[in-house]
Amino acid sequence: MTSPLLDIALQIAMTLVMAPLMSSIIRNWKAKLQNRRGSPPWQVYLDIAKFLRKDMVISEHASWVFASAPYVVFLTSLVAALMVPMIGVEAPLGMFGGALAFIGLLALGRFFLALGGLDPGSAFGGMGSSREMTLSSVAEPALMLSIFTLAIAAGSTSLSVMVHHAASQDWPLLNSVNLLAFAALFIVLLAETGRVPIDNPATHLELTMIHEAMIIEYSGRYLALLELGASIKQFALMSLVINLFFPHGLAVGEGSSVPLAVGALLVKLLFLAGVIVLVETVNAKLRLFRVPNLLAGAFVLAALALLSTFIFQ
Amino acid sequence: MMLLVALLLVPLIAGLACVVIRSTRWLERVNLLAFLGVAGLAVALAREVLGRGPVKAWNGFLYADALSALVILLTAFVSLACGVYAVGYFRFDRQNLKAGSRQVRRYYALTPLFVFTMLLVTLANNLGVMWVALEGTGLACVLLIAFYNEKTSLEAAWKYIIIGSVGIALALFGTILTYYSAAATSVVPEGMGMNWSWLVTSAEKFDPAAMRLGFVMVLLGYGTKAGLAPMHTWKPDAYAEAPIPAAALLGAGLLNCALYGILRFYVLASKCLGTEFPGQLLLVFGLASMMVAVPFVVVQRNYRRLLAYSSIEHAGIMVTAVGFGGKLGMLGAMLHMVFHATTKPLLFFCAGNIQQHFGTPYSRKVRGAIRAMPLTGGLLILVTLAVTAVPPFGLFQSEFTILAGGFAANHPLLGGLFMICAVAIFAGFLQHIVHLTFGSGGGTPTATICPWKNGAMLALAVGIVVIGFHLPESVFQLVQAAAGVIGGAQ
Amino acid sequence: MTPMPVDPDFSSRIIMLLTTFVLVVQLMMVTQRTLVGNIHLFAVQSLLLCGVAGTIAWVHQATHVYFVLALMLVGKVIALPLFLIKLVRRIKINEELKPMFNSPVGMLLCGGFALLGHVVARPFAGRSPLINSTFGIAIALVLMGLFLMINRRTAINQVLALLCAENGLFLAAISLTTFGMPLVVELGIFFDLFVAVMVLGILVFRIRETFASIDVERLNQLKG
Repeated sequence: MTSPLLDIALQIAMTLVMAPLMSSIIRNWKAKLQNRRGSPPWQVYLDIAKFLRKDMVISEHASWVFASAPYVVFLTSLVAALMVPMIGVEAPLGMFGGALAFIGLLALGRFFLALGGLDPGSAFGGMGSSREMTLSSVAEPALMLSIFTLAIAAGSTSLSVMVHHAASQDWPLLNSVNLLAFAALFIVLLAETGRVPIDNPATHLELTMIHEAMIIEYSGRYLALLELGASIKQFALMSLVINLFFPHGLAVGEGSSVPLAVGALLVKLLFLAGVIVLVETVNAKLRLFRVPNLLAGAFVLAALALLSTFIFQ
Repeated sequence: MMLLVALLLVPLIAGLACVVIRSTRWLERVNLLAFLGVAGLAVALAREVLGRGPVKAWNGFLYADALSALVILLTAFVSLACGVYAVGYFRFDRQNLKAGSRQVRRYYALTPLFVFTMLLVTLANNLGVMWVALEGTGLACVLLIAFYNEKTSLEAAWKYIIIGSVGIALALFGTILTYYSAAATSVVPEGMGMNWSWLVTSAEKFDPAAMRLGFVMVLLGYGTKAGLAPMHTWKPDAYAEAPIPAAALLGAGLLNCALYGILRFYVLASKCLGTEFPGQLLLVFGLASMMVAVPFVVVQRNYRRLLAYSSIEHAGIMVTAVGFGGKLGMLGAMLHMVFHATTKPLLFFCAGNIQQHFGTPYSRKVRGAIRAMPLTGGLLILVTLAVTAVPPFGLFQSEFTILAGGFAANHPLLGGLFMICAVAIFAGFLQHIVHLTFGSGGGTPTATICPWKNGAMLALAVGIVVIGFHLPESVFQLVQAAAGVIGGAQ
Repeated sequence: MTPMPVDPDFSSRIIMLLTTFVLVVQLMMVTQRTLVGNIHLFAVQSLLLCGVAGTIAWVHQATHVYFVLALMLVGKVIALPLFLIKLVRRIKINEELKPMFNSPVGMLLCGGFALLGHVVARPFAGRSPLINSTFGIAIALVLMGLFLMINRRTAINQVLALLCAENGLFLAAISLTTFGMPLVVELGIFFDLFVAVMVLGILVFRIRETFASIDVERLNQLKG
């Protein structure tokens, strides 16, 4: 760990490279599990490059909100990602805020995304926004509650302190507080990244789509930013879950090697991606009206985790 | 002591034998013999306990003091009376095609087992075994409640087993907590940890927090079994749907066993926490039961359900008596148990005769019972007066004692409430029974006299009148000794 | 044979984890809609409780807890679930009853029960690490069992709910009294439980024959 600027640059580079790759790998593995050949993992870069080159088609009813949403989504995701400790215990932007800022930034991005879906006045966009907001009203409390539970255990809402606390335990998951919080966070992760039991990123079916419905009016550069933003958000959440519950291989203290830590992160991310792929493959998408039940389950799990911190102290 | 073992073995063997016997005649004989045997053994046990104090068997696994002996005596008495009445009752049912031979066989096999579990409740020294036996009573009699296989009887049986099981689960929780409160504070001798005879010697040292929670749970649990309000809802259904002999066993036998369970824990709790906390709880549940019974008695349209509310009231009275505490309260509670258990079966039998004759449990369809069945009608008037505590019958004496106990314990308001409830129930009961008994008969044929049914009823009636005037000295001694066991803390 | 050295911290950690899973399984039962799924969950819950009992037996070298564990394994993990599944098959029940509370509300209520259990268990905290981690959950399990009973009012669900409450009592018994209750009591409790389930099975069967349904709401003729 040398200078803060270098840290930031490193993490930005890593995020920009690895985030799309992660989405693409999940898509590829899922195809393999379903006996399809699937697009190659690097396809996503080509897609983004192509989106960036293409012209945009913008509805004449769209206002400045429509145009600004992609930038806000992209930037909030990126800054949120910089607040997550990925390589070392200290996050590059850790001094600007902890768990609250992280959740707030994601919420801000979601808010603009929903506005962007509503703005052009198309039926699908509005539907997607309303669904997204409905679900996030249940998912967000669960996310907050589970992260706060960990914060109570660590004694601070700074993500760095929380990860440090996790790294000081041998097996954080062998602890009912962490286990319950992990279960809750995992469900929230699926919801926030639009994974199968909640949303299906691969279809454009009007009955079910949520995220895809919101961005249906976007094209060209804006679409590229939105796709990138979504994958960065997923990447940030996945690394957060990984480092909070599996802090093994993290660069802690002096003399730890950064390449090793990056490698460890990659391996763990791939493992988590594998789990997500499995979940997506063996489950069918829930009916939209059942989704709040699942998320309420996550909320209750998080609440039990919070309770357990008092029971098992 | 062989006595205790024999007391358990006789009904158990009889019950198991009745599972394989196919002839109804023989089933009747085996049942009657078994209940006669139990009654004889119970009398012998009562003499033994009066003469030489508590009896133990099997290394303290079975234990009988005066309280157990009294409850055993009453259980044996009630089961014998029901056994005799049942012979006539089921013969009538068979003749009128109300019940098939398989059903009757099931009754004769289950009843001795039911009596066995009730006796085990009173004989078990280990509170856990007592719980097992009380749960067993419920299991043995649920199929008796479902006897007639009608929609309503299935409903009653289902409610009974579900509500009863929930209650009994709470009671197990209370038992575990009580055990914990003992084990947390003193060294438990090997294998004796849940034995009441050991617990009572060291109850002062128990952990009060666990004991308090444990007693509440036990009271809720066994209170459900005893039918205390507000856990009484199964009672009217079960009493109205079960065949009369089984209902009488529930109302006059099982009720005592459930109260016995509460009393055992009351002794421990009052030693550990003082009498105030458990006493107040008992008062709340007891008076609530009495008050709940009043409106339901007054507006009741089904005379079988009327009996259940009377039973709820009497359970409430006994619990209130213990709640009042003091020598008079305890004595009153035990006296009430004796008089109630001897009086109640006759009330059930009269109702059974009327139902079998008129074929309906609804009061409005029954008129002029005294003309159609003079004996039953006359006895019904007699037993109604007895059961609503009219002097000179025994229940008047016991309720008077309890009331005196209440005033002695400085509860004048509660005593007044007690009196109001008793009077209101008396009025409600009388109104229904008068309606049933008198009035123009409308040409119903006179009933035939059945020696079994009417013999049992006459014998009971004579007994009620006699003990109303003079309770045998030895029984009174046993009652006093039992009251001493409960009031041991004072 | 020298007793195996067991790290008490490690064992209490395992018990904590297992009881947490027990609680989570109970929550899943609240949301689970199919009868057979519920029965499977009950078997899993009993298996987890076996794990708790096994850990306690191992740590305290209490041989008779092993015996209880064997009873539990044979009875609650294998025999009773099999019996119930057979019963479900035999009465061919396919109706899916709407629960009284929808599943988010149900789960939140159960979260509340967990809290209540914790509050009730509070005065007992600090007596032993075992009680700290399990007693509150045991109370919560009993409460949730009772909740299950009113939430889905079919006959078989009520039987299952009863068994769940009993599981809570089992947990309370082994956590409060380290060496468990005397063996004869445990045997008696298991015997009663089996007879109870058999009797309930008979009743369920007859209710099904008579009412052509196992919806307990239809048992509503007796009033007053």
